Amino acid sequence: MPGPGLIAGYLDALSGQLPRQVIDELADGLDQTYRRYLGLGLSPDAAAEAAVAEFGAPELIAAEFGRAHPARRAGRTLLGIGPAVGACWAAALITGRAWTWPAPAAAAIVPGVALLAAVALLAIAACSTRYRSVGRAGLAGCLGIAALDASMIIIVIAADPAIGRAALAAMAASAARLGLSARLLRPIFAWSSGSC
Amino acid sequence: MRAEELKGHLDAMLLAALEGGPRHGYAVIEALRAGTGGRLDLPTGTIYPALRRLENAGLIAGSWSVVTGRRRRYYRLTPAGQRALAGRRADWRDFAATVSAVLEGGPCPDPA
Repeated sequence: MPGPGLIAGYLDALSGQLPRQVIDELADGLDQTYRRYLGLGLSPDAAAEAAVAEFGAPELIAAEFGRAHPARRAGRTLLGIGPAVGACWAAALITGRAWTWPAPAAAAIVPGVALLAAVALLAIAACSTRYRSVGRAGLAGCLGIAALDASMIIIVIAADPAIGRAALAAMAASAARLGLSARLLRPIFAWSSGSC
Repeated sequence: MRAEELKGHLDAMLLAALEGGPRHGYAVIEALRAGTGGRLDLPTGTIYPALRRLENAGLIAGSWSVVTGRRRRYYRLTPAGQRALAGRRADWRDFAATVSAVLEGGPCPDPA
């Protein structure tokens, strides 16, 4: 059956890039398109060629799914609000004279490195069109930012019991972003686990 | 009409295609094909990620069924999707009336 074989090859080209649930849906649509062309009187080969041509190049479809991935929106959202939360923390750390806190050097270095890594992952999620890269980078980036926000709140409470207004504002900003990250993570988990 | 102009309204057209009840992806494509008289010249495979994007936005909801041994995903409008469609429709009517008034010299609609 060379006609359906062409369709199977088309789906094989996508199956390495997209989850099984998506492939199932595309397979159903492609099969119906193929049958429509058969119904119009085309041979199996011609019907398969017409169906595949109508569907579009596998790279195009995979890239469109990458653009539709909720991790992409999550990456853009968190990158967009990042500077505002960062400014709150900068103000809190400066006004609280953070360099005088009795905290180990790692308490300053680890959050900074973690922040850079999370931002890099979110940037990949926001810009890539490779479905799996978008999903993995977005998931890791969101989890990283959430962990960073939670850690910063804990570190400040532990290091500076006399919390000033600026630190309170920064913690409130991080708490709000923590809630947002949790909301953004829900659909990413659903897409990544293939439950939708 | 240029296909590019139609593509700019793809989300609204997808929502409208689901207004009559749940449809699977291919039925949505057929509805768009019929509704646009075949003018929507885009790779039909790109409709599926567009549907997933709308689903992620909460405007439509998808669910799986098994039809003749094959898994098939159906989509339906959510209440948020119905509100979004109503909004898009109102915006479009206002836009079309305004442009028509300028291009064809008719009365301009009162601003809402």
